Amino acid sequence: MSMLAGLNTALTALQAHRSGLDVAGQNIANANTEGYSRQRVDLRANGGPPVPGIFSTWQGAGAGVSVTDVVRLRDAFLEGRARAEHSQDAYLSTVNQAYTSIETVLAEPSDTAVAAQLSDFWAGWHDIANNPGDWAARVQVLQRGSLVADGLRTAHDAYSSVWNGTRASLDALVVEVNGAAAAVADLNETIRRAQGTGPPANELIDQRDVQVMRLAELVGATAIAREDGTVDVHVNGSTLVAGSSNRSLAVTGARGLVEQGTDPVTLRWSDNTSSVVPGGQVAGNLDIVTVILPGQVAALDQVASRLADTVNTAHRAGYGLDGATNRPFFTGMTAATISVAVSNPDQVAASGSAGGGLGGSNADALAGLADRSDGADTAYRDMTVGLGLAAQTAARRADIQSRVTTEVDSARDAGSGVNLDEEMTSMLAYQRAYEAAARLLTTIDGVLDVLINRTGLVGR
Amino acid sequence: MITHRVTQRSIASRALTGLQGNLTQLSKLQEQLSSGKQITRPSDSPSATASVMQLRAETRANQQYSRNADNGLGWLTTVYDALNSGVGQARHARDLTLQGMSAGTGGSPQARAAIAAEIDSIRESLINVANARFGDRPVFGGTTSGGQAYDTAGVYLGGPEEVLRTVGRDVRVRVDTNGPTAFGSGATQVFAVLADVSQAMRDDPASLAPALDRLDAALQTLQTQVSDVGARYNRLAQMRQTAEDRILTLRTQLSEVEDVDMAETIMRLKVQETAYQAALGATARAVQPSLMDFLR
Repeated sequence: MSMLAGLNTALTALQAHRSGLDVAGQNIANANTEGYSRQRVDLRANGGPPVPGIFSTWQGAGAGVSVTDVVRLRDAFLEGRARAEHSQDAYLSTVNQAYTSIETVLAEPSDTAVAAQLSDFWAGWHDIANNPGDWAARVQVLQRGSLVADGLRTAHDAYSSVWNGTRASLDALVVEVNGAAAAVADLNETIRRAQGTGPPANELIDQRDVQVMRLAELVGATAIAREDGTVDVHVNGSTLVAGSSNRSLAVTGARGLVEQGTDPVTLRWSDNTSSVVPGGQVAGNLDIVTVILPGQVAALDQVASRLADTVNTAHRAGYGLDGATNRPFFTGMTAATISVAVSNPDQVAASGSAGGGLGGSNADALAGLADRSDGADTAYRDMTVGLGLAAQTAARRADIQSRVTTEVDSARDAGSGVNLDEEMTSMLAYQRAYEAAARLLTTIDGVLDVLINRTGLVGR
Repeated sequence: MITHRVTQRSIASRALTGLQGNLTQLSKLQEQLSSGKQITRPSDSPSATASVMQLRAETRANQQYSRNADNGLGWLTTVYDALNSGVGQARHARDLTLQGMSAGTGGSPQARAAIAAEIDSIRESLINVANARFGDRPVFGGTTSGGQAYDTAGVYLGGPEEVLRTVGRDVRVRVDTNGPTAFGSGATQVFAVLADVSQAMRDDPASLAPALDRLDAALQTLQTQVSDVGARYNRLAQMRQTAEDRILTLRTQLSEVEDVDMAETIMRLKVQETAYQAALGATARAVQPSLMDFLR
């Protein structure tokens, strides 16, 4: 073996540990970078020549060390699980947020919201029954009736504006999905090229994982890794990204709550317009605009129609102060349209018989509607309790899911996160090894010095 | 060897999650304490929300029942006072009639004319009594929209309908007395009888005896109505008391379902505060040190 081979060994050691220090530096630099996976230098001891030769100077010691790879420590299985959990988490927390805002619309239970207004309305009819000739009692019932109708209309308007907001954010989310899909396709292309030419593309792969995770959160996308380093992304079984090409999604259908019944909001592929059942945040928003809000509005309409129906039937049976009968109290049978039809207090039908003068039997009958099991109060109570149950379930599911997600994230972090103590330790190890390699260099230099400069000086 | 790696980021994110959870609990308790309510939105407890809404509606209904009963008691008091005064005046008329009769046909016509004049004035006063009003409504006139139950001639102007007050779920109590029921109708109507008595007193003292019988019958009718009104008054007063008692019970129930238990909530808030501080302290210790602190 050549005398100078030792120098080379020391050199490879210096290089290898330098790159070890570099990687530790990169890890420390990205300790807090979202989606960064820690990296590790793979070192390999260089052996002797693989083929023995007669004139080989090989003495049995190795030829130093070489860096074989800088690997990215990430568990693909955990990654896949994290995507599924994040997708579910995004879906549930979106639905939960929607319920939170829907609940605040009703502002129940309270002393002032629609339930209390309804009670006041019925009490107003009692007051008329007590004093059918009292103008003030009649005006009061008209105003309390308007208040109830306004309360229902306001709730409907609030649902409508939540719907519009959700519909708009659905559009924005789908734009984001398409952007992320394009980014994944671009990164796929770059990574494929990079891997073909040699240098590791760890940071690019990290970036792509972040984008795929975002897609999982947005539409519940799943990913399959390919041999050439690219990933294919699927939504609902269809391809969103394949290699360097990507498709796009679009939201079609109603632009307002009233159109939802006839032209439901649907997520479709832009190219062949077939519909998609997504997951994640988009699914949450889609649920809100197609199921949750229309359901709440239907329940509200039910309250309005029960109110209008029972009150009108009873009111038609009575006689106003002017002796006329068969007049409805409310117009409109839905929450959006209901309002008080009677404008003149004289027309409030308190009396139960044609010539009844100041009779109050019909007002009494109207006041008794409060206790009807098929009345507006019961419908409203059922609606509120139903909403409370749904909101509670949504909150609990979101809570449980967020715990599961945190667990998976923490497991993922345990595998691929940067531990600063570990990096410090490896820095120490690399530093000491570097120092030792430098010392080796000095030592070999000294040995050569002895050989070259101090050997054979006899007789000089 | 495979060990569970712990990284700075996972410590940080776990600490954050824990602190966030603690803080959420703390703010929830704070909200309960400051609002005094356990339930501020339906999802806090759907079943309790249902009871709270039911209890509120029932409280409101009972408050109205109590109001209705108050109004009804006003009517019945007016009716009762009027009938009582009517009975007194009718009795006085009967005494006067007896006085006229005892003098017989031999009594002086002037004396009988004086008695007749007094009876006439009693009749007028009775018609006034029969027009007694609660607010602007004649209490013996049923549901008439006019201001009077009887005209000055003693003719009934009201209707036959009853005036009812709802004082409980499906419980209605009549709060008026129909004019003809109290003051009689036809031959035994107290005003007609008194007119006849006055007439007989002046012109035909012999026919006073049958007129007195009719007056007795009319008086009987009036007295019967007094006791009837008294019974209804009692019933109404009882129903009002029932409604008031019910309101108290309902308020207690509402408070049990809805209001926070101050002592318990403050205890829980304190415990939560301690837990939060402990979490903060632990986080500060766990996040801070690293190997760097110990290497030179």
